[in-house]
Amino acid sequence: MDGDPRTDVDGTNKGNLQLMSRSTYIKETTLKNLFLLCAFVAVMGVALIFLFVGWRGWPLIADIGVGSFLGGAEWNPTDGLFGILPLIWGSVVVMAGALVLGTPLAVGTAVFLSEIASPKMRSLVRPAVELLAGIPSVIFGFFGLIVLRPLIAQMTGGLGFGAVTAWIILAIMIVPTIATLTEDALNSISPGVREASYAMGATTWQTIYKVLIPSAKIGILDAIILGMGRAIGETMAVLMVVGNAPVFPEGVTVPLSTLTSQIVMDMPYAAGDHRTALFGMAIVLFMVSMGLVAAVRLISRFQTSISGGR
Amino acid sequence: MTKRLWIVLPAFALALALLAVPLSGCDGGGRATNELVVTGSTTILPIAEIAGEMFCDNNPGYKVLVSGLGSSAGIETVTRGSSDIGTASRDLKDEEMDLGLYDSPLAYDAIAVIVHPSNPIDNLTKEQVRLIFNGTYTNWSELGGRDLRIGLVNRDEASGTREAFYKIAMEETPFDRTAAVLPGTGQVRSVVAQAEGAVGYISLGFVNDEVKSVSVDGVDASAATVVDGTYPISRLLHFFTVGEPAGLAKEYIDFVLSDEIQQGIVIDAGFTPISAGEAL
Repeated sequence: MDGDPRTDVDGTNKGNLQLMSRSTYIKETTLKNLFLLCAFVAVMGVALIFLFVGWRGWPLIADIGVGSFLGGAEWNPTDGLFGILPLIWGSVVVMAGALVLGTPLAVGTAVFLSEIASPKMRSLVRPAVELLAGIPSVIFGFFGLIVLRPLIAQMTGGLGFGAVTAWIILAIMIVPTIATLTEDALNSISPGVREASYAMGATTWQTIYKVLIPSAKIGILDAIILGMGRAIGETMAVLMVVGNAPVFPEGVTVPLSTLTSQIVMDMPYAAGDHRTALFGMAIVLFMVSMGLVAAVRLISRFQTSISGGR
Repeated sequence: MTKRLWIVLPAFALALALLAVPLSGCDGGGRATNELVVTGSTTILPIAEIAGEMFCDNNPGYKVLVSGLGSSAGIETVTRGSSDIGTASRDLKDEEMDLGLYDSPLAYDAIAVIVHPSNPIDNLTKEQVRLIFNGTYTNWSELGGRDLRIGLVNRDEASGTREAFYKIAMEETPFDRTAAVLPGTGQVRSVVAQAEGAVGYISLGFVNDEVKSVSVDGVDASAATVVDGTYPISRLLHFFTVGEPAGLAKEYIDFVLSDEIQQGIVIDAGFTPISAGEAL
């Protein structure tokens, strides 16, 4: 770019000083509007999806009542029973276990990358973690179905479908999300804090445990919430390993189902009220992800107000 | 700045190309008199559709329109005259007997009950099969086998195999809802092949060495027992026409009954060819 195009695009200097040719001006304006359009498409996309899902899903919820939709204990569309509580329960169980397994793994990875690893080691591990984020979820699911499930089947004497299988697969899947954001949080701690800790004679472990993790805790919390969003929204990998039985599971190694996987299982043949119920489940998922995004924003605001108050 | 346009523009062009959905159908030029409408069973849909496409390729200018609405709808539309061939995965009911429909069976649909190869159980009664799949039996020892939890493997509700199994083996009583629900025959087979306590069901044509197919009511599941009607979990797939098939309908049915389709798509879809009966 030569000169300052903004002056001319705003038209403030026109006639006074010719900073760019007319064709450049047209190009600049077109591109500006093009990018505005791109941003608008994203916003419109969210709004339209929300409206569409709400419009298609609401009639059934209004018909049977929010209570018996969210709180109904039986999902049996063929008999007209549309209680999604077993599916909500399944989603929560799968997500919670994945977080319990995945968070220590991810935070550990982040601490290693940011505090312990040599630059050479880091250049090896970081791309691997990033690659993990890029692997399509169906491949994780396939791995879970073909490799992990038979192992668990052998150990438990069951089929190998169930919460445990999903936990392990999802824990690996959310590592990149949590690790990357945690590493960012650790890197944004000012070097002075670290240096002060070492100057006081603290060891590496003491610095990590007593100084760095507490300073980055809000960033880590954000990372965990986003990992939560990834875990609860994950569909394909979960579908392949949970076994898809829409009931309250009697254990962690028997089949269960989640909101997302049930939507995919039922979509091909659902009609009428059943289809509407699937959209109702989509509303629930939409609300959950809105809640998670709102939580992240609130926490960030909280953090800003604290550091601003200093 | 100009360079960026070269990145943005192809992206838009790609989006447009993706939006342009290709028109389906084998020959767009077909006229109404060259059209054959085939409606009915979703089980038969894959065969009818692929056979229809191949029929069109062999006979340019013709058009075969296939849709799956269910067997009853197939029988109803062919009776009303809104389709030329009605497909059904069940026999005619008593009240449908005097509609003047001509039956051209095209294949057998037999379902094998499969277990892990190490499972000592060789035979189950049809009633035992039902009680396994509705969750009454939970351990193989209750059926004279080892002390091992039964791992039920079911198919998703969109599956034609599940529908057939539900009608024939379950006699339309509910499945155990804690069973694992898997979206494909291949998955059912590989899961049963890997878990010692597992039991599932798949079309006879897909049974292989990885799993053991148990006999039902003392009858092994095989092409021979399916054809002679002794294997209990099987049914015939039918083409129904009003009166004997003629013209385009006859050409199409003959094509489906030809070796090309019977030894090809019919077997690939896991069904037992109707010609298996003639070979015996």
